[in-house]
Amino acid sequence: MNLEQTNHPNSSQQVSHEQPVLMLDQVTKRIGKKTIVDRLSFEVRRGEIVGLLGPNGAGKTTAIRMMTGLFTINEGDIRIAGQSIRKQFKQAIVHVGGIIENPEFYPYMSGFDNLKQAARMTDNVTDARITEVISLLGLQEALHKKVKAYSLGMRQRLGIAQALLDRPKLLILDEPTNGLDPAGIREMRDYLKKIAQSEGIAILVSSHLLSEVEQMCTRVVIIQNGKLVTEHNIGDPKNATLLPELRIRVDRPSAAVQILKKLEPVQMIEVKEDASELVCRVADADMPTLIDALREADVVVYRIAESKKSLEDEFLQWTGGNQIA
Amino acid sequence: MRNMTALVQNEWLKLTKKKSFWVSPALLVAITGLVTFMLYKFGTDVEEMGSGVAYMAGMLGASGMGQFIAILSVVATSGIIAQEYAQGTIKFLLIRSRSRGEILISKYLVVLLYILMMMAIAAVVLFIVGGMAFGFGGTGEQWIAVLKQATYGFVYSLVYASFAFMIGVLTRSTGVAIGVGLTGTMFGGILIYKDFYKYVLFPNADLSVYGNMGPPLPGMTLGFSILVLVVYVALFLVAGYTVFRRRDVA
Repeated sequence: MNLEQTNHPNSSQQVSHEQPVLMLDQVTKRIGKKTIVDRLSFEVRRGEIVGLLGPNGAGKTTAIRMMTGLFTINEGDIRIAGQSIRKQFKQAIVHVGGIIENPEFYPYMSGFDNLKQAARMTDNVTDARITEVISLLGLQEALHKKVKAYSLGMRQRLGIAQALLDRPKLLILDEPTNGLDPAGIREMRDYLKKIAQSEGIAILVSSHLLSEVEQMCTRVVIIQNGKLVTEHNIGDPKNATLLPELRIRVDRPSAAVQILKKLEPVQMIEVKEDASELVCRVADADMPTLIDALREADVVVYRIAESKKSLEDEFLQWTGGNQIA
Repeated sequence: MRNMTALVQNEWLKLTKKKSFWVSPALLVAITGLVTFMLYKFGTDVEEMGSGVAYMAGMLGASGMGQFIAILSVVATSGIIAQEYAQGTIKFLLIRSRSRGEILISKYLVVLLYILMMMAIAAVVLFIVGGMAFGFGGTGEQWIAVLKQATYGFVYSLVYASFAFMIGVLTRSTGVAIGVGLTGTMFGGILIYKDFYKYVLFPNADLSVYGNMGPPLPGMTLGFSILVLVVYVALFLVAGYTVFRRRDVA
């Protein structure tokens, strides 16, 4: 039994009876003879931040445009909070807030006027809600400046503000950190995590910055040539197929290997003699046993580090090393 | 209904918050004043004109300032859809809980409002400068003529604006819509003496022709022209709606 499992009750277990906030069901989009999105199905649930990844031309943007009603759907359907975007567009889209590509606004109007424009296209956004969203995103100072004077970072924040106005259940963001400086990216990431947790908003993020997605998302959906390649949970121990991989640096690697081989819960992977390192897999719960055994044999441990395979490595593996969009 | 009012308000603000918005009304005021001054100074006999109100009636139609209003309305209308594409704000607009039909209707209603505003501005300026030039008195009959001519002028502008509106939806290009729309207004003056031509939009657009002279082409009547215009405008709107409703927005 993995210790982490008991510490982290699996969140998907609790919500599995709930209707998914976003559900793609065999969605197909053809333009001319070309199939851009091919029977794509996946789900996003409440409170999840899901990354949509794929190499150039994989169909990410097309998929997002279909979710927001900008593109028609040839086959299949997309449901948002149970409502079909094809058949009940208004009832479905009311649950969605989004930024598609760049956050575009009327440049000759102030940020506030642009938010008012968005608010007038909803049924129940009050002035109090507008004020709330403005302070949530720290837009007070730039509010009455014309949008054309905004930096991209400010526009991005205004984009999030308009998306959140009507308290959406689903936030769809196409490249949300595009054009942001590192501080801005971090701020955005923290902010998205916060609203996913506190308000239970489901967030779908498409991004080409894999490290970004890795730090922000709970799950990634990888598509290529319009098809689903794989879905992958990030940082969810129950779904991790393997135990953590550790690199242990010791003074006498050959002696250490003999000890570790005798330990039942340890899976040896390799010995790097020149670096004086052992690579093995072991569950957290069995770590004390491993350390005790090494100490009893007088093997000196200098360093233990988790060797993380980055999402990028996995991504390249899944998509066959194509260039990342 | 509340939704539509809010949408129309949005569209009106988008139009009027641009700095360039006031160029057209200013131009209209200036040209109206100038034309009146020139006529007063070099043109018609002041006695012959009778009153400023009679002058106003004459000038509101498509042969007077109505023509100029039509041109300015075509220019304003052409950008109303195309600009959303050019700015990328079409996405901002379409991912709301409003149907594309509602969006399109709200835009068309703003076109109507714009033409009404321009007609009102022209009427006020004509009343003032016409009154100054030819006297402020006017008979009831002359006021009725004003209403009639204003209606004709409005219809004339509306027909060409609707045409430009459709072209704007179909091409998503402000330039093309202005070009095609303005070319349309120029065809108004050309008559082709063939029977089919009476079913074409252009000779029917100016309803005021039935007042003073005979029909432009044999077989045309006021009722006939109104019917032709209704059919054309309906066609423009249906074509625009059909394309706009289904189109993929990249």
